[in-house]
Amino acid sequence: MGKVFVIDVARCNGCRNCQIACKDEHCGQAWAPYAAAQPDTGQFWMKVDEREHGTVPKIFVAYTAHGCMHCDNAPCMAAAKGGAVYRREDGLVVIDPVKAKGQKAIVDACPYRAVFWNEEEQLPQKCTGCAHLLDDGWTVPRCVDACPTGALRFGDESDFADEIAQAEVLLPEQGTVPRAYYLNLPKRFVAGEVYDEVEDEVVIGAKVTLKDASGAVLETASDDFGDFWFKQVAPSVYTVGIEAPGYAPKTIVVDATEEDVNIGGIAL
Amino acid sequence: MGKTADKTVYKTLGWCGFGVGAIAGAVDVKDGRVARIRPLHLDDAYSEDQIKPWKIEARGTTFESGLVTSIPPLAVGYKKRTYSKNRVPYPLKRVDWDPSGERHVENRGISGYERISWDEAAQICADEIRRIVDTYGPSAVYCQGDGHGETKNVGGTHGANTRLMDLLGGYTLQGRQPDSWEGWYWGAKHAWGQDPLGKQSQGRNLLKDIAENTECMLYWGCDPETTTWGWSGQMPSRLCYWFSDLGIKNIYICPDLNYGAAVHADKWIPVRPNCDAALQLAIAYVWITEGLFDADYVDTHAIGYDNFAWYVTGGEDDVPKTPKWAEEKCGVPARQIKALARYWAKHNTSIAHCNGGGYIRSCFAHEPARLEVCLLTMQALGHPGRNQFSFVEWGMFGMPETIACPAPAYPVYVGGSYTGHLPGTGFRWFIPQTLLPDAILLPEGEKLTWNGHVASGLPRQDQYDQYSYPAEDGSRIHMIWSDTPCWSTCWNGGNRYQDALRHESIEFMLVNHPWIENDTLFADIILPSSTKLEQDDIATSTMCGYNDMVVNEARAIDPVGEARTDPECVLAIAEKLGLADQLVSAWCGMDGSLDAPFDPAKDTPDVRMAKMSHQAVVAAGITEPSMDVLKQIGWVGGGMEEHQSYEDFLEKGYHVVPTSDDWESLPAGLIEFYEDPEGHPLDTPSGKVEMYSTSIADHWPDDPERPPVPHWIEESPAHHERVTSDRAKDYPYLLVSNHPRWRIHANHDDVTWLREIETCKVVGPDGYAYEPIWVHPSDAEKLGLADGDVAKLYNERGAVLGGVRVSERIMPGSLYQDHGARVDVIERGTGGLERGGANNLICPGATTSQNAPGEVTNSFLVGCEKVDVSELAEEFPEAFSRAYDAATGLTAETYLVKEA
Repeated sequence: MGKVFVIDVARCNGCRNCQIACKDEHCGQAWAPYAAAQPDTGQFWMKVDEREHGTVPKIFVAYTAHGCMHCDNAPCMAAAKGGAVYRREDGLVVIDPVKAKGQKAIVDACPYRAVFWNEEEQLPQKCTGCAHLLDDGWTVPRCVDACPTGALRFGDESDFADEIAQAEVLLPEQGTVPRAYYLNLPKRFVAGEVYDEVEDEVVIGAKVTLKDASGAVLETASDDFGDFWFKQVAPSVYTVGIEAPGYAPKTIVVDATEEDVNIGGIAL
Repeated sequence: MGKTADKTVYKTLGWCGFGVGAIAGAVDVKDGRVARIRPLHLDDAYSEDQIKPWKIEARGTTFESGLVTSIPPLAVGYKKRTYSKNRVPYPLKRVDWDPSGERHVENRGISGYERISWDEAAQICADEIRRIVDTYGPSAVYCQGDGHGETKNVGGTHGANTRLMDLLGGYTLQGRQPDSWEGWYWGAKHAWGQDPLGKQSQGRNLLKDIAENTECMLYWGCDPETTTWGWSGQMPSRLCYWFSDLGIKNIYICPDLNYGAAVHADKWIPVRPNCDAALQLAIAYVWITEGLFDADYVDTHAIGYDNFAWYVTGGEDDVPKTPKWAEEKCGVPARQIKALARYWAKHNTSIAHCNGGGYIRSCFAHEPARLEVCLLTMQALGHPGRNQFSFVEWGMFGMPETIACPAPAYPVYVGGSYTGHLPGTGFRWFIPQTLLPDAILLPEGEKLTWNGHVASGLPRQDQYDQYSYPAEDGSRIHMIWSDTPCWSTCWNGGNRYQDALRHESIEFMLVNHPWIENDTLFADIILPSSTKLEQDDIATSTMCGYNDMVVNEARAIDPVGEARTDPECVLAIAEKLGLADQLVSAWCGMDGSLDAPFDPAKDTPDVRMAKMSHQAVVAAGITEPSMDVLKQIGWVGGGMEEHQSYEDFLEKGYHVVPTSDDWESLPAGLIEFYEDPEGHPLDTPSGKVEMYSTSIADHWPDDPERPPVPHWIEESPAHHERVTSDRAKDYPYLLVSNHPRWRIHANHDDVTWLREIETCKVVGPDGYAYEPIWVHPSDAEKLGLADGDVAKLYNERGAVLGGVRVSERIMPGSLYQDHGARVDVIERGTGGLERGGANNLICPGATTSQNAPGEVTNSFLVGCEKVDVSELAEEFPEAFSRAYDAATGLTAETYLVKEA
């Protein structure tokens, strides 16, 4: 058991309060015994990445917050010498700012790139889970306190059993057993707009199917704007089928392996 | 208090202007420095039973306002602004400005600065003010204190100088434009009243109405993930997630995939910048020709439908405003226009705004504003689920009917402690903010005229009167005194403003400001003012959707450098003029000016509130004026003693207003007008929606830009800002210049933690952090641009640089660059070149239209081309070798002349 982070990508508005609050807490301020001061710029103990998905006009932006995963099987702990990285009773993984001096291997060990090298101090540095605040009566770290939407949560593992059951972790293949759980990580979408070129009208209610390589089929219908969306589908090559009464059926093969696919207008 | 803070104080963290604070946060202090800024937990000092946060249940969902304020990132990182390397460290004098000799006005903007003492600075300022008043009269002093910057009361920025000038016989006021909602003000008011804002003022209980009834929300030029940050925090973001949970279809109509659309949109309809009027007319065309509107409602609730329909269907000009016609103008496919029109007609639809996007701040903005009212009317405006909803400024001007969330139990007001300019006063001499360059550069003997006081809180009728400059009894201006020196990067045509600031008639430019930035660099004397973290103040926290509060804004830290509050800057000068005692009396309301009873014919709502406050203060026996008593005057004058003792308030740090017990009984939005238009008329001349405006017909019957029926206006003598304009051959792109994501207008551009966000700036090959320009991939290909390139946006007014981001977030044919970047001049003035991306420098100078003196600061034509920064560096060695801090950008160091 112990503390975990739960990060719901579908509730992240990209405001970066978490990223800025982390800086506000740690830049220029040392919190012994857990952390030396973070340099003003360049390190991100909590960071939000953003990525555009799709093309005009079917596009959205996904924001993914990430910091230290406080892994159960933490590579940084394995790489550290002299007990420079340790786990607190509450599960938080902490780099001792005194013992870790000079140990760049701790930076290189992290597959999440969550550990930063402080050149001036010759020190590896990362998220402490705001352990100094938890010791001082806080129930959550700064990033979680500042999150306006509830996208970022922190607490006992047992309190988040339902979320964890549906969650994914980043880089599971690394075997780190991270304690940051992600909900609604973006997959791919396939979307388009069905219309009648002659009448210059959208086609509402067209039957649209999405077939993957294994032959599994999803089905939807074009909406009041002629739009259809298949959201959160796996990266794959798909065959899109479109049928509507009075029109010849249409089949389009799309490659959503690397990118989301907005087919655009599909004239029937 | 634990080990991680020595003390906690509370501060409102909205930058909303004139003493009306919003979104309170907590500031922890350790070892004399700000340790952290964080959300305020309302239950720190009170129980949930006392606070009564509000709750709405609808469609199987529950939304609770909660006990933790959602402050924006601009607030979380605000200590960087206080501790910025860009702070004015001490009083400064421009090195080649000699008040008793050569003034070298031509060097404003390029000269460096040298340190002088507070005593010397105050003496120079006092002598100059006295000389100018004696020579030309007091109207020669222009007081600039617009709404941009920190929101404070005792430490009132925004025109503390006007109170001193009152004692010297007056001043020329910079009119406080309705600058975020020009189109509503100059247009929509003529269609549906809704004074004083012009957007739907009767917004009470709209959250409940939306939750229960709205099926579709149109976010028309609306970005609830950006615009609201500076004013009211992030409650709008939470509401957007809730609207999705409720099953509302969220449709964004805007040229850019704005930050709200990026995470909340169910559908994005890209529309060419400021071409919304064409889209609106085509929607009306579909409704009229397909019978898809509520004709009975229009009969009973509106006048002028026949005139409107005559224009829409082409009766007036033989041009039916068909979807195909509109497609050419606005870029939305005709089939999508038809689909939108039909969907809207079938679903309870409201329109959401955060004051309005580009179409409310561009040329002819009154037309799309009025057209929106017409469309809402055709679908039975005020019907449950069908209103215009605003995400911001709930409670603006103290109007409870604008509060969309469940109502507070009682209003809060601490304006008695406000030391800034009292809105609604000082109009003897004034110039609209938008016309300032024109005024300064006006040829001798000519007059400048305009309509209305151009002040944001005034009713429609105010627009009928004409004013001029120089006034009959006034002088031209010869001195500018500013506490908001950001005109050039906020308003309409900054390059021309830079010309004006170097005009020989401006003998003295005085700035009190915390930071060396923007127009500060044109000042002759700079006085260092402090930020709110350094000040002891009191504030209301309203407008943000959480429980209203009064906040004891105790001082967090000592002043940085030699900074003083803005009123203390003014007071230092008043002391030299022998007017200090009188000034303090005036600030305390004890100079007799508030003794007369309220005069509804003459006094604005602000003056009424000030008079009421003063009466309460007198009744409480506070009669001795001092700066120290101002804070208490605010509390007592607002009647707050009734709810909590002053001492207990100071002790607890904030006062919370519980939610009203009977909020649900208040009528939602315009439901009363919907149900009974005769009994609850609008404040238009007819009491109905005026699709044909009788007020415009009476006063400006032949105005081609704002005719009685709202029109599509292609061009005007002053504005050629269409992709079909001749100018578009040279400047083919329409620029979207929204309120910025990582700034509030000109503020925050030196915050290192924001600047290092990879989408906040684009670091060029020269290491300089350029303001991003979004370019669609198809345009990037045409222009030969790639991610990370430095490009120039230009037109005949000048050019600004930016860093290219190739993105699908902007529609083809348009470009996007946030407004408000910090000015970094390469060449000053008209035709100049600028490095920071301050695109207001190249905005149109002309106002909304000939009879509407609003700003035009969005959706204007530019060209775009790649530049080679190393070539530019060779051409402009001085500008490109300025001291530059990679993290902060320009710093005070850049401009200070080293002491020997």
